[in-house]
Amino acid sequence: MATAVIMPRQGQSVESCIITAWNKKVGDTVAVGDILFSYETDKSSFDEAATVEGTLLAIFAQEGDDVPCLQNVCVIGNAGESYAEFAPAGEEAPAPVAEEIKTETAETAPVATAEATSVQEISGAISPRARALAEKTNADLLKATPTGPSGRIIERDVQSLVDRGLTVSGAARAEYTSAVEGSGINGKVMLSDLSAPVAPAAEAAFTAPVAEYEDVKLPNIRKIIAKQMCASLNSMAQLTFNSSFDATKMLELRKSLKAGADKMGLTNITLNDMILYAVSRVLLDFKGFNAHCLGDTMRYFNTVNLGIAVDTERGLMVPTVFGAEKLSLNEIAKQSKAVITAAQSGSINPDLLSGGTFTVSNLGSLGIESFTPIINPPQTAILGVDCIQKRIKEVNGEDVIYPAMGLSLTVDHRVLDGADAARFLKAVGQALENIDLLMVK
Amino acid sequence: MPKSQYVDPGKAFESGFIRFSDIPVCQYNKKLEEECKLYTKADMMRIYRDMAIIREFETMLNEVKTKSCYNGVEYNNPGPAHLSIGQEASAVGEAYCLDINDLSFGSHRSHGEILAKGLSSIEKLTDEEVYDIMKEFLGGAVLSVVEKHMKSANVKELAINFLLYGALAEIFARKTGFNRGLGGSMHAFFIPFGLMPNNAIVGASAPIALGAALYKRSNHKKGIIVSNCGDGATGRGPVLESLNFASMDQITKLWGMDGKFEDGGMPILFNVFNNHYGMGGQTRGETMGFDMVARLGAGFNPEQMHAERVNGYDPLAVIDAVSRKKQLLIEGKGPALLDVVTYRVSGHSPSDSSTYRTAEEIEAWKAADPILAFKQKLILGGIAKEEEFAQMHEEITSRMTEIMKLAINDEISPRMDLHKEPDAIASIMFSNQQVKSMDPTREPDVLMPKEECPRVKEIANKIRTAKDENGKPVSKMKMYNVCDGLFEPIIDKFYDDPTLIAYGEDNRDWGGAFGVYKKMTEAIPYHRFFNSPISESAIVGSAVGYAMCGGRAIVELMYADFIGCAGDEIFNQMAKWQAMSAGILKMPIVLRVSVGSKYGAQHSQDWTALCAHIPGLKVVFPSTPTDAKGLMTSALEGTDPVVFFESQRVYGFGEEFRKDGVPTGHFEIPFGEPDVKKEGKDVTILTIGAVLYRAMEAAKILEEKYNISAEVIDSRSIVPFNYEKVIESVKKTGKILIVGDACERNSVMRDMASNITELCFDYLDGPPVVVGSRNWITPAFELEKSFFPQASWIIDALHEKIMPLPGHVAENNFTDIEKIDRAKKGI
Repeated sequence: MATAVIMPRQGQSVESCIITAWNKKVGDTVAVGDILFSYETDKSSFDEAATVEGTLLAIFAQEGDDVPCLQNVCVIGNAGESYAEFAPAGEEAPAPVAEEIKTETAETAPVATAEATSVQEISGAISPRARALAEKTNADLLKATPTGPSGRIIERDVQSLVDRGLTVSGAARAEYTSAVEGSGINGKVMLSDLSAPVAPAAEAAFTAPVAEYEDVKLPNIRKIIAKQMCASLNSMAQLTFNSSFDATKMLELRKSLKAGADKMGLTNITLNDMILYAVSRVLLDFKGFNAHCLGDTMRYFNTVNLGIAVDTERGLMVPTVFGAEKLSLNEIAKQSKAVITAAQSGSINPDLLSGGTFTVSNLGSLGIESFTPIINPPQTAILGVDCIQKRIKEVNGEDVIYPAMGLSLTVDHRVLDGADAARFLKAVGQALENIDLLMVK
Repeated sequence: MPKSQYVDPGKAFESGFIRFSDIPVCQYNKKLEEECKLYTKADMMRIYRDMAIIREFETMLNEVKTKSCYNGVEYNNPGPAHLSIGQEASAVGEAYCLDINDLSFGSHRSHGEILAKGLSSIEKLTDEEVYDIMKEFLGGAVLSVVEKHMKSANVKELAINFLLYGALAEIFARKTGFNRGLGGSMHAFFIPFGLMPNNAIVGASAPIALGAALYKRSNHKKGIIVSNCGDGATGRGPVLESLNFASMDQITKLWGMDGKFEDGGMPILFNVFNNHYGMGGQTRGETMGFDMVARLGAGFNPEQMHAERVNGYDPLAVIDAVSRKKQLLIEGKGPALLDVVTYRVSGHSPSDSSTYRTAEEIEAWKAADPILAFKQKLILGGIAKEEEFAQMHEEITSRMTEIMKLAINDEISPRMDLHKEPDAIASIMFSNQQVKSMDPTREPDVLMPKEECPRVKEIANKIRTAKDENGKPVSKMKMYNVCDGLFEPIIDKFYDDPTLIAYGEDNRDWGGAFGVYKKMTEAIPYHRFFNSPISESAIVGSAVGYAMCGGRAIVELMYADFIGCAGDEIFNQMAKWQAMSAGILKMPIVLRVSVGSKYGAQHSQDWTALCAHIPGLKVVFPSTPTDAKGLMTSALEGTDPVVFFESQRVYGFGEEFRKDGVPTGHFEIPFGEPDVKKEGKDVTILTIGAVLYRAMEAAKILEEKYNISAEVIDSRSIVPFNYEKVIESVKKTGKILIVGDACERNSVMRDMASNITELCFDYLDGPPVVVGSRNWITPAFELEKSFFPQASWIIDALHEKIMPLPGHVAENNFTDIEKIDRAKKGI
């Protein structure tokens, strides 16, 4: 009896995954543990390994297909076995087609509702009026959500794009064939956003030598990052404040922890963990910073879910350490390590990639002296951590050299003011300057 | 049924017998000596000449059709030629008796009648009269050809050339023909000589001729009408309907109104050229049961229609009979019926191989040739010599050759050039005139001043809006409704135009089945307003003849479903004669039809599409009192045939849209202009007919439940139709539903949807969607909501075909799958 392989559901919030590569083709012999295919959500990528052995009998989804979770993707069994019964509904079975489905009569045909109609099938069709409006307004049709019958884009869908500012510049229009995030005002797609602008043909004889290049399709995760970044900048009034604090005690603590970690059964606690720890304690005193801005409502959290910006091969990811305010420094270090590793390996549970109430982004280890981190909406602020630099300060009339660690705080000026930011930065700085005392608190 | 005539059960069951009187069969037996007292030699020779001219004219056509050559002149004529060789004595004998006030109508086989009546008229008119007629006709276009290119010894000769040339050029589809070549062989006519349109539909002339007689009778005009047809036509309903319509009792018993007006029967002679065959079907012995056509008379009135059978091979026998019948008609004793026995030696058409008759039979009739026989009679009687005839024949042949050469000369007799004048035909499809009175010289026959008409008084006291100033609905008794909106312009026109007549089933005492003519009886006399027999063909056909003579008629078919009963009269006659006459004829007819509901499959149909499909008809369908009044005023003011659709759903409705209520006085709404009944910005609903009110209901639901603002446009007119307002609306909304009560397949809605798609393609946000009735029979009233479009259908169609409405759950299936499936099944 053949066995169907389904698209696994990776986390409750995931509805579908994109197949990125097939490692086997129909007819291949499959052993238990062989990687059948790779797939990704908008946040992570995964490999699906075979759990039965046999021959790959059929493949129902191709590379690039967006497959609903739990739907059959392929069938493994003995060569010659029937597999048509595993074909997902609506998918044409490659084998002899089963009996023709009788057309439903008027009496029995289920009557569609608006929602059902719009998701029924996406036809790529667009009404003449919608097209005209799109041309007039330069709406970015590739981002349209069709709500007309049979997936037709109708006027209101284009109007919605225009209302959301999703447009394409006149210059970019001709070469715009697949959706990208725009860098222009309100996310307008500009010519510069397109990966490979083509030189006008008429000028071919005089063009400069054509640069060699490689066209690489953006992975899904990149598209998501791009979208979120732009959405963030588009929707908020972001303002960055820089300050620094004396990291002497932090460094001392780090040194002693490094030495005694094994003895105490502590994990490797980094400077970043200390910052996370300090932030988690200070945040509850600054509720405006541990909050989501939901348009006309603020949602203040009683718990601190710290997002940690992580550099991964696949791009920026922000896993979350939940309930950080209740965790000891050691626990914070442990948990942050776990989620960072998972994010970097690409196998993180997508549910851990959301839910943050505040984010810390540390570029200090890469020698950055100051930067303007971008807020992860709907959060209201993000703390950037810079490198440590030697600075001089006057102590009792003498110049003293001390290690100064920079902090770059971006806040959403719509809901937080400069003074709020200054106070918060000051509090974080003081907490870190007195990290030893903080831990006793 | 008039109350003045008591239906007595005692008398109804009285026993007795129906007695018939003898119908004369070929009783003419006058000797030549007797006839010589009546006719001079010149008369006799002229009778002969006219027969010979007809014979030569048709021989020429036969030669052209069968050999493409006549007397050495080659020509190919692809058009029809239904010849009457053998029937000349019947035609000439009849025409001999008719003068210029007498009008004759014929069939597809009427070349002989045209020439005979034409020649007779030329003889009877003075030179001045004939010349004026020729000079006036089509601006002298026909006359100038014969004047310029032929030598004529005198005006009468010129007129004969004019007649022959005009008829032949018409047969050859030349612009210099009597009807610019638009009528052709089967429809040639020349009104100034009393030659009314001939008809290619067998029997179709009978109701039209009846209408001409009605015109004479109701407008007190001189002259009689001759309705010619063949024996085959007597099998047709419209002919039998006309025989009855002309014979109905009321004309002699009620129309005089106790001496107030002239009494007397219908001045019409139904003349049957009985050539024994309807194409190939032998009437006597095969396809009919009357044995002799004359027997029919006994079926229609106690006078047996003065029916008689005469020898149509003897022109003097025919003259004898026709002149006696004409006298009867003049005395008010009509109608009359003649069974003129003749024979068509030529085939039905040149393609006739005479498979239905023997060579022996044809030879026997040739041997009895009426022209030869008459010549022999004149020679034997010593009236003329052989040489005189020979010389006459030579002249005729040479004249015919000359005329044929002229008629086939493309420079002298060009065809209509539709490249140079692309609108030449388009411009004559409608006459588009505004004529208050078709006869301003006469005062209308009425029974009282208009102001005293009880209905007029009643309407004067009505409230002309559906709601009073406080927004309260006006009581039905006080409210001016659609019936009143129709009545007002009609009664006005009765007092403005003496020629206006109105009839149909149950029009008079009943007031029309739906009460539009209620209490009009008191004001308008019978001969202008009467109950017709249940004879839809005769009702519409007679209106056509009435209009051809210069009158204006408003006729009614009660239910639109009965359009089929008058199919030919509406589609081939009423619609076509203006253009087929090259714009010479006007057709001021309003045909009222009412779209029902509640009465099932044969009484609930909106057949606007059938009428709109036929070129030459104007079609309107108002559904508010204001629109009913405005469009009826325009219809009655115009000179074109209008099929005026009404809806039984809304006769009692008051004015709900026009704030100031229904306008008083003369109020016209130009044809073709749709009306925005409710402004909106999100979706357009274009309605046809009474569905307007369901569309308004849908618009209300869309507004309240879905926050969608619908613009409702009432088409009001169907032909003509100005799309500009609709285009403007679609430019605004991008979405349109076309709604009506007709079955949706091939409906006017479909036609409009197709046109709107073409005209508004770039503005559309979805396909124009038709919401019509199902392609079923109309079920019982209790099930009608599943058949006729409802407000919910309109919303569902918008939701499923154009713009899904969030949260809306459709009850009706407008999906593509369903559509394809229904089309596959033909339902």
